[in-house]
Amino acid sequence: MNTHTIDTGAPVVPADAYDTATFYADADSIATVTNTTASDTVALPSPDAATAELLAAVKEAGRRAVPGPFAETALVARPLLHRAHLPVPDGPLSYAIAPELTVRYAHPAASAVGSAGCSGEDNTLLVTGALRRVPWARAATAVVVLATAPFGPVLFTLTPDQAALTPGANLAGEPRDDLHLAALEIPASHVRRISPELLDEARLRAALARSALIAGAAERCVDLTVAHTTARTQFGRPLSRFQAVKQEEARLIEEAALVRAAVQAAAVPLDTGGTAAYFAIAAAKTQASASAAEIARIAHQLHGAIGITQLNPLHLATTRLWSWRDEDGDETYWAPRLARPLTATTLWPTLTTTP
Amino acid sequence: MSPSTLSPIAFPDVALPESARRLRTEVRAFLDEEHARGTVLGRPDSWLAGWDPDFSRRLAERGWVGMALPTEYGGAGRGFLERYVVIEELLAAGAPVSAHWVSDRQAGPSILQHGTEEQRRFFLPRIAAGQCFFSIGMSEKNSGSDLASVATRAERTADGWRLTGTKMWTGGAHVNDYAIVLARTDEAEDKHAGLSQFVVDLRAPGVRIEPIHLMSGEHRFNAVHLEGVDVPDGMLLGRPGDGWKQVTGELAFERSGPERYLSTFPLLASLLRELEQRPATAEQLTQVGILTARLHSIRRLSLGVAAALDAGASPDIQAALVKDLGTRLEGTLTDTVRSILPTPADPHATPGTHPELLAFAQLHSPGYTLRGGTNEILRGIITRGLEQHR
Repeated sequence: MNTHTIDTGAPVVPADAYDTATFYADADSIATVTNTTASDTVALPSPDAATAELLAAVKEAGRRAVPGPFAETALVARPLLHRAHLPVPDGPLSYAIAPELTVRYAHPAASAVGSAGCSGEDNTLLVTGALRRVPWARAATAVVVLATAPFGPVLFTLTPDQAALTPGANLAGEPRDDLHLAALEIPASHVRRISPELLDEARLRAALARSALIAGAAERCVDLTVAHTTARTQFGRPLSRFQAVKQEEARLIEEAALVRAAVQAAAVPLDTGGTAAYFAIAAAKTQASASAAEIARIAHQLHGAIGITQLNPLHLATTRLWSWRDEDGDETYWAPRLARPLTATTLWPTLTTTP
Repeated sequence: MSPSTLSPIAFPDVALPESARRLRTEVRAFLDEEHARGTVLGRPDSWLAGWDPDFSRRLAERGWVGMALPTEYGGAGRGFLERYVVIEELLAAGAPVSAHWVSDRQAGPSILQHGTEEQRRFFLPRIAAGQCFFSIGMSEKNSGSDLASVATRAERTADGWRLTGTKMWTGGAHVNDYAIVLARTDEAEDKHAGLSQFVVDLRAPGVRIEPIHLMSGEHRFNAVHLEGVDVPDGMLLGRPGDGWKQVTGELAFERSGPERYLSTFPLLASLLRELEQRPATAEQLTQVGILTARLHSIRRLSLGVAAALDAGASPDIQAALVKDLGTRLEGTLTDTVRSILPTPADPHATPGTHPELLAFAQLHSPGYTLRGGTNEILRGIITRGLEQHR
């Protein structure tokens, strides 16, 4: 059986490894359904690719259910390291935004407090606490951590083997591991003091990356559902000829297009930053998370029984939708933050800032 | 892996030209003046219900009616995206734009595309000056979604055509000047053939206009009885038999504009005004945020259709998609506003207060997903379109 595993034995069947047409055509074909092979890879764009290109690649990774921290590497960890002027390691990367972590400087006595109120030159940290549900931590070359140190936010990197790892997973079986740090020393060369803005940007990048993945999984639901309702015949005609099916399928298509548009609309603002970026990305994640339920519901309903089994790839998309909508801030996290600054007079100008 | 099934229905990325940004500022300044004048009342559904011909004329003086028409016909020669910016500003403010709405959105572009030179020279400058208002003469008692089944007949006379039949739900026929009427000119086997469009003077002999009152009591719609109305040859729009093609060619324009998701926007602004009076709860903010995110996302889709139209494409599937999403939001918005801040709707409350606006939006709400093609029919267009592209 063709599986992709990342060191843990959790099998991830690639999205193309399902041929349900054979299942319907041949009563004895159940065994062959999961045994075909196909590529599920998406090329990782170069680190200096434009945001729109990164978003498109991440969406495609979401559509194909790529078994690895593709979005985490391309759209979150790499750009944050670059922004913080730290070297970008090769290989898969992950991130953790953990302001609750206990962080102190390892050598406070050796580094006199400077005239500007900052501590001295030695940035070596001692870190204690847990990083919860870090995506693909067990498979990452390095984890980028954003935390709060005594004199403001810091960004540092660690490797998973420096921590005690408790494996975990989301509904789709994607690794979500806890990393326990006990007075772990992070050498100064791996630490940068960062602006509060970069900490905000990290949250926005993570939310947008997750939104783009959701947009991709939503498109996968459309792909599979349209293919299924066109091919599957009941009462002597394809499901797609039934009015009741058309009505639901159109809503699925619309909802997926809506999420795609919300993600697309955030590409330019992410680069320009500021309040426009906050609005566009909070809106994208709110929309993506809020749409996930309807998209998964319709896709499953129109697939019938086979959709809720491992004979069919639909679960690759829907289990991800159900997990990703919760991760990096669900709609109850982002929507009130989106709404709080709005007044009757600023609502329309805010909606029309870009474009 | 095969390309995404959604990829054929792309929505281009939109970057508004600098001229559109300047235009937005100008429109906002104009709306501030009109606010001071007391004409812009922040009412929902102002493109159906806000009839103010003087406002339309002042707008026309700025060059914002028929603004996409060429300058040689009195238009402003502006792009489709610039027009989009102007009308979304007007609708968001709840400005009274219904007098010129159909002449600006449909009649002008249609006459420009299908009309004779003489028709263009006569109608277009008047439309752009806000002096000539149009109604749509398409639906009939037995022809709603199934428009090709229209029974109104146009018979050849010595120097023109004689029209007989009854058009229904004709908005503004009692106050407008003309209607573009779809009538059967030939008993063809194929019901889509043999249809033609005519410009009918609503004050001509034989035109009898009978009010149809909405459930709110408002008089917006009419039955227009054409009792042997003589229409000269010069008022045939386009070629005889091309009516169906001409009518369906306008659909993307009619279905994807900002009026398909902004009809109840003024009610959301009213809600925020109410919420400013007290500390909002997290739950209220969450619901406002979810509505705002959806508005923002639908607006991007709608702008994408506008950009495609501007580039000369015919994004019919995308337009149907925007109309279904947008008009469903218009209704959901009303219900959500009610649940965010429970308020008994009161049609007799002081006009412009929250309970009165809520009542108005509520009574109009069933129409949002009916007008311009019922959403159930549009969903058929979407699924069929996507299956054909596979």
